[in-house]
Parts: sequence; C-alpha cells; structure tokens
Amino acid sequence: MSEQNLLNSIAGFREAWQAKEALERSGTDFHEIKGEVASTVVQLHPKRLELEVAEVIDETASTRTLRLVATDHSLLPPFQAGQYINLFVEIDGVATARPYAISSSPSQRVYYDLTVKRAQGGFVSNYLLDRVAAGQRFLSSGPMGTFHHNPLYHGDDLVFLAGGSGGAPARSILLDILDRGLSHRFHLVYVNSYIDDVIFDDEFRELANRHENFTLSEVISRPPTGYWGYTGRLTEELLQRLLGDIGNKMFYICGPTPFNDNCVELLTRLGVKRRRIRVEANGAPKAPNEQTGWPEGVSLDDEVTVTVRGRGSFRSRVGEPLLNALERNGYGTENACRSGECSLCRVKLVSGAVFNPQEAHLRKSDRDFGWIYSCVAFPTGDIEIQL
Amino acid sequence: MKHYDAVVIGAGNAGLTAATALQRGGSRTLLLERHNIPGGCATSFVRGDFEFEVALHQLSGLGTKDKPFVMRQLFDKLGVLDKVEFVQEHDLYRLVVPGELDVTLPASWTGLRNLLQGMFPAESEAIERFLLVCEKVSLEGFMTLPKARKANSDAALQSLCPYYVQYGFRSARDVLDEFFSDAKLKNVLATYWLYLGVPPSMLPFPDLAVMLYAYAVFKPWHIKGGSQAMSTALVESFLEAGGEVRFNCGVEKILTEDGRVCAVRLEGGERVSCDAVVSNASPLITFNELLDLERPPLAIQQDFKSRRMGTSAFVIYLGLDCTPQELGVTAASSFIYETLDEEQIHDRMGTLQTPLGGMLTCYNFEDPSAAPPGKSQVMLVCLQYGDVWKSVAPEDYARTKYDFAEKLIALIEKVYPKVRQYIEEVEVATPLTMMRYLNTPGGAIYGFQQSAQDSALLRERLDGVPGLYIAGSWTSMGGFQPTYMAGESTARAVLKQLKVKEVEHV
Ligand SMILES: Cc1cc2nc3c(=O)[nH]c(=O)nc-3n(C[C@H](O)[C@H](O)[C@H](O)COP(=O)(O)OP(=O)(O)OC[C@H]3O[C@@H](n4cnc5c(N)ncnc54)[C@H](O)[C@@H]3O)c2cc1C
Ligand code: FES
Repeated sequence: MSEQNLLNSIAGFREAWQAKEALERSGTDFHEIKGEVASTVVQLHPKRLELEVAEVIDETASTRTLRLVATDHSLLPPFQAGQYINLFVEIDGVATARPYAISSSPSQRVYYDLTVKRAQGGFVSNYLLDRVAAGQRFLSSGPMGTFHHNPLYHGDDLVFLAGGSGGAPARSILLDILDRGLSHRFHLVYVNSYIDDVIFDDEFRELANRHENFTLSEVISRPPTGYWGYTGRLTEELLQRLLGDIGNKMFYICGPTPFNDNCVELLTRLGVKRRRIRVEANGAPKAPNEQTGWPEGVSLDDEVTVTVRGRGSFRSRVGEPLLNALERNGYGTENACRSGECSLCRVKLVSGAVFNPQEAHLRKSDRDFGWIYSCVAFPTGDIEIQL
Repeated sequence: MKHYDAVVIGAGNAGLTAATALQRGGSRTLLLERHNIPGGCATSFVRGDFEFEVALHQLSGLGTKDKPFVMRQLFDKLGVLDKVEFVQEHDLYRLVVPGELDVTLPASWTGLRNLLQGMFPAESEAIERFLLVCEKVSLEGFMTLPKARKANSDAALQSLCPYYVQYGFRSARDVLDEFFSDAKLKNVLATYWLYLGVPPSMLPFPDLAVMLYAYAVFKPWHIKGGSQAMSTALVESFLEAGGEVRFNCGVEKILTEDGRVCAVRLEGGERVSCDAVVSNASPLITFNELLDLERPPLAIQQDFKSRRMGTSAFVIYLGLDCTPQELGVTAASSFIYETLDEEQIHDRMGTLQTPLGGMLTCYNFEDPSAAPPGKSQVMLVCLQYGDVWKSVAPEDYARTKYDFAEKLIALIEKVYPKVRQYIEEVEVATPLTMMRYLNTPGGAIYGFQQSAQDSALLRERLDGVPGLYIAGSWTSMGGFQPTYMAGESTARAVLKQLKVKEVEHV
C-alpha cells in the first residue's frame, strides 16, 4: 500500500490533498521573486555604499564638511536625522574606519554631509582634513544608529545639548524639523571652546531668527575678554535659566565624553528622568582605567601579546582598543559604531582577559561564553582571539 | 581549497542544531552565517540597559526536571543542557477582548480543565472530551503515527492512532464547532492561532492540540539571557566538539558536480568543498538563488507551486521604566483582540490598517533578570504578511513604520493604558526588518503558510539534489521546538549518508 493510501483514512486527508493539488495548479515556483529579498533590503540597508567626495567645504579652522554623493550619482538611502555612517578608509596601508553623523537634512538624498573636526592626535580625522580632496572615493556602511527623534515617545518639545562636533547631528535634526514643517520646538544649547571655532554658527543664528520653534543658546567655555554671551562650563543654574520648566522635554546630548557625562549629571539634578535623555555614542573610552572593575596593577602603557588563532600574533598596548590594534597589524573585523553598541565587531576571546568598559553593550550570553566587542575591548594581559 | 564533510548555511535554530549534531556525530563541519551573531530569529539585541529577546515567547517541549520531555533530551544530547538556565512560566496566556472577555489560562492540564468547566458549566462534559482528544492526538502524532507509517498498514494505523484517524487533518474550527456551542469558549481555546498566524478555519487541528497539550503539560519556558543564550550555547558546544564557525560570511552559491553537491562559494569568492550541505536558508533562496542549476529539479518546482508565503511579524520592543505591576501585567503573555471574529483579525494581517489582534509579552514578569531592577522588558507583536511593505517607498519607510507602530500601541493600550508613558527604549521591527536579518522572502518567520496543505505528511523531503539538505521552518512546522528538532533530525540523515559514502570509498 502506498503511503498516500494509508493516510487516506485520516479524516480530512483527502480534502487536504485535493486542496494541495488545487494550489499546485494555481501557484508558481516562486521564480518570479528571485532576487527580491536582496533588492528590497539593499534599498534601506545597503551593506556598503560607494561614495565620492563632491565637495570639501571649509567650516572653521578646525573643521571641514565632506559632501559625499553616490559614485553612480543615484539617490542615497533614506536615513533618520541624527544617524551616522561608518566611513572606511585606508591610510598608509592601514584599513580602518570611523563613524560620522550625517550633518545634512534627510529631505534630500543626493548627498550626505559629514562634518569632521580635528581630533588631537587623531588618525582618521587628520587624514580626512588634510589629505582628502574632491573626487576621492570611499566605501561606507549604510546609515545606522538610534540617536534620532523617535515619534513614538519623544514628543515635540526637544532640547539638544551639543558640544563641538555635536553640532553635526543637531543640524540634521533641526533641518529635518524645519524642512518638514513640523511644529516641534527645538532648543539647541551649543557649547564651544572658542568663539572662532563654532561650526554652523551663522546658519544656526539665521535659522533661529527666521523660525519661532527654533531657539539657539550659545555658550563659549573659553571666551575672549569682553565677550558678552554665556560663558564657562554648563552649570545647573545656567541650564535651569535656559530651559525653564522641564515638563516633558526630550534631551539629546552629543559632544566629547566629559561634556556628555556632565550634561547627564546636570539634567539628573534638575529632575530630568533618565528615560528622557538620549546620549550619542562616542567611541572607545580614553581612560578605561578610571572605570570600576579595572584590574589593579595594570597600566594603559603596559605591553601585551595578541594572538589571532591560526594567523599570527603582535605586540600591543593595553590602552589601545583591540579593534584598532588589529587593524594596525593588518587584521580586522566588520564594524560600524566603534563604540560598543552595534556588536558587529564581536569576536571570540579564546584565552586571556580583556577589560569590557561600560561602553560595551554586551549580551548576557556574550559575557557567559567569552565573546567581546573588539572596538571597546582592552586586553589587560596576553590574549588569544578567534576572528 | 579547504574540505569539510558538511557545510551548514545559516546559524538559525535548525542550522545550529544540525551543525552541533553533525560535529558531535563525527563529521567535520563548517557553519556559515551572514550575520555577526548566531540565532537567526533566536537572537537578542541591546539598547541602553536592556537586552531584548527578538522572537521566543514560550519555549515548548521541555518539560520539568521531574517530567522531562523531548527538548530536554535533545538539548542534553547536543551538550547544552547545563550551559543555559530555563525559567518556567506559570500561565499559558491571558486573553482579553475588551468588554467581552478577560481570562487567564493556567499552565496545568487539570487547572485548565477546572477553569474552563467553571467558566462554561454547560459545556463541562464537552471540555473533558475535547481535552482528551487534544492529548491523544498530540501523543499519537509524536509516538504512534511514525510507527504506523513505518509499518505502512491500515490495521496498524487504525489500532495505534484511533484519535489521529478521526481528527488528524481537520481544521481547528471544524473540531471546535463539533464540540462546543459557546463561541467565547472556542475563542479561548483557539487563542494560540495568533502565534502561528493561521486562523482556526485553516489551522490544522493537531497543531492547536499539540500547542495546548504540550504547553499545559510540559509548561511554557523562557531562557535566561533569551533565546540568544541557547544559540550561543549551541555554538559553544559546536566549537568544543571541534567545529568551525564563520560569522559575517554569507554563502553566494552552492556548487554541484554531476548533479551532486560538491562545494559552496562564499561572498568574496572563496570556495569551500564538502560532501554535504545543510541549508538553513529558505528553500526558495536555496534552490532558486544559491544552487548553481538554472532551474531546481522538477519535483521541487512542483512542491513550491503548492506552497503559499507564510506570515511575517511587526514587533515593538519596549524597555519600560516601570515594574510589570505598575504596568498592570498579571501574566507574562497576553493576547488582545479587538473583535471575537478570528477570520477578520487574520484578514487585517494583510494590510497596514489598525491590527485587530496583538500580543504583549513581559519577559521579567517570571524572570526578574530579564530587565534591570524596577524596569520591564516588553514586546508587542502582531503578525503581518510582508507583501504590503513591498509597495512602501524607501523614503516613506520610517514614517510608515511609526504610523503602524502607533496603531499597534493603541490596540495594546486598551488593556495596558500605561504602556506608552514609561518608554525608555524602543525599537520597531517590520516584515522588512525580518527580511533583512533572516534573508527570507516576505520576511517570513515560520516559512510557508502552515495550513493543512503545508503538512509534511503530504510531501516528500526536498531532496532532489544529492548532498543538499534543507532544515528549518520552511520544511517543518515553524517555531522553536520544531526547528531545533528539524536540524537535529536532518543531521542524522546526513550522518547516515556520509557513512554510506565512507563505506563506498573503502
Ligand atoms: C518576532 C518573532 C516572534 C516569534 N515568536 C515565536 C514564538 O513565540 N514561538 C515560536 O516557537 N516561534 C516564534 N517565532 C518563530 C521562530 O523563531 C522561527 O520559526 C524559527 O526560529 C526559525 O528557525 P530556522 O531554523 O528556520 O532559521 P531562521 O531563524 O530563519 O534563520 C536562518 C539563518 O540563516 C541565515 N542565512 C540565510 N541565508 C544565508 C546565506 N546565504 N549564507 C549564510 N547564512 C544565511 C540567516 O542569516 C539566519 O541566521 C518568532 C519569530 C519572530 C521573528
Ligand atoms: S563596531 Fe559596533 S560594537 Fe564594535
């Protein structure tokens, strides 16, 4: 007896069989959707973008904007204002990358602006500022990140505390609101060290004059003598004065790490709930040794050996994030945020110990089974990893 | 060029159990995953202080320590039982239809019967009989049906599977109608259809029976650290057994020689030769795109023609700055309907209009470690077919996503009015998100639509290309238990095949 006959005596089997045959007659072998998954996904989340510098715009003495277009001049993927792309570069034989917030408005998709400020002793920022000209090509990730306005709960009363290059995502979020004609209130508290090094200052002032829902408060921390505006570090009093009633405001913070930490602390003291504060990620910590849990007797300048299973080994410094060290020595992993948030740089720690700073947003099971996010992992002794 | 006995494409549930079983079974195995982390659906992601479970609501088939069931044995066999911690859930679910119905079913077979009989005394005797039928159909489906099929005798079938013979291919709707007259009782018993996305009229009765029986008797479970913990534990066990895994490593082609699988080509061009390939990627992608043949074998094209695309999901992951109690949660899993008409709820799943049915799962209700102290990890879901998202222009995607999220939140707010006011973190996943992370057509999360016509009993294995095996939700039932089991059983078939080959070579 054939199997089909056997099952025929199960109630409903014949009907199901007939229904299946009817479907077979009216259905297709799905050949018509060949390639559809890839072509759908790539429109929103391309793994890599091929970009070309269309223009280099001088902003201030320390800062330039790279205007990037698609090499084939097609439209770039949409993004949410505040998001970043990870820009891949090769500098003197070292392949690495850095995430940069898009500073232009998402209302046009011909170009993305990346606004790059010189970082003291920086590797990539100096390269982008000094050695990049129009016509140069880059690969990047697609737009990513969660530092953007979320209409599900952020509301329409927004305050952005920006320090220095934090003006880049602030500009994108502001332009997005204005371009879409949204009624959201947007208050930018913009803190800079020097009066002649304020990115987008003229543009911001002009927009503040023209738009009632945009308020600009400029603060200069190292003012020249005779400066009449707000000066010094942000304080509770100053913030209180600038913000007035806290109400249901949503706060965005983006700047150097000490600035971010200070802002969170001030807002907390002013009674702002942590859930109303978004802080942009900021790379690996410069001083992981000041965080709790740092092993005693280990210094950032200690040397360690990093072994890449099956491939080789090199000497590195404790204070250098593992991903950077790998890249400098000709290895690498996929990466995007380089701040411990996206987990793309996850690698297996086979032996030895690393310090996972508070920036490392590890999953419970990563901790349990020895997986680390190399962009924010600091080897505190000799280690072996598997790429 | 490197050579392996077996290459497994995709580290979803079935890929992970297949790879682990293969390697532990003595075959040199390479596991390849496009994403940077194992799990497919069975994964998690971190936002702020929260680690969000992506997919697992209730793990079935585990049983308690005293009364273990198949999954405990399977996990033990795969070397992961002591690598993860399970947390038992004490209720099946709470079903709320505002103004009509609000009931919480306990995860206990007698408790369930007592509760239903108390609520619907007029149907007391029918409830007793119905639950018995659920139990018998489940047990026969698992234990005696395979025996009867092996014996291939009608007499064996009739004597070993009397209940299955009576109910095995009928729809849940049909059987519920036979037993009960109270419409609400039928709603209460059919609620699990919303997990599967197939309305009671299309849902094979055994699927519903197994869910009720297995969850009530063997309990629903969570995993500490989420399903990601199981995925990572499986990788650990696989590595311990000497397996090799590569992440961020998509397979571009499955190569054949004289009609037999001989190698895979990776993105970037590298070629890895092997005797067998187990594909955990969708068979549509596997046969129509990965395989180097112009057209898949006829039998496979024929099989595809009788399939229909299954459902995807729209999910809102919420990190809330309040306790489950403050939110008003009284059971980990809630189903919320806007109407008592399940067909209508299902029809809406093909549109972007306000969903008529949704669910809320609060993970730290039973497992406090699932959220930081004082906070809650909550998932809102409604199943949805991916098709409607194809026509959304890229520039409208974010807005469409938030608009639809508003609609789902509005539905859930009818029962949990405070869900919006405590939000600290939120992430929204649409069918396109599923498509991106799973590489499945339509963003399908359970493979093909699981109506009676989809049943494996009506179909041959998709084994038209020697050396190529398919494992996953597309060829078994979707969901955690079925896919974990499908991977392991596929590995057994591969091991058998590899042994035969070895003998031929001697
Ligand atoms: C939001 C949501 C909620 C769910 N809720 C439940 C629930 O409560 N209970 C339940 O039982 N089930 C639930 N499911 C469904 C369940 O998770 C799935 O049915 C099951 O996990 C599918 O497993 P799979 O083995 O088929 O693989 P999948 O999870 O589909 O994984 C396939 C893997 O293959 C990889 N891959 C694909 N193509 C390639 C390639 N070319 N090269 C390399 N790798 C590739 C993918 O990246 C992916 O990792 C849910 C799913 C989702 C998304
Ligand atoms: S690159 Fe994002 S976590 Fe390391």
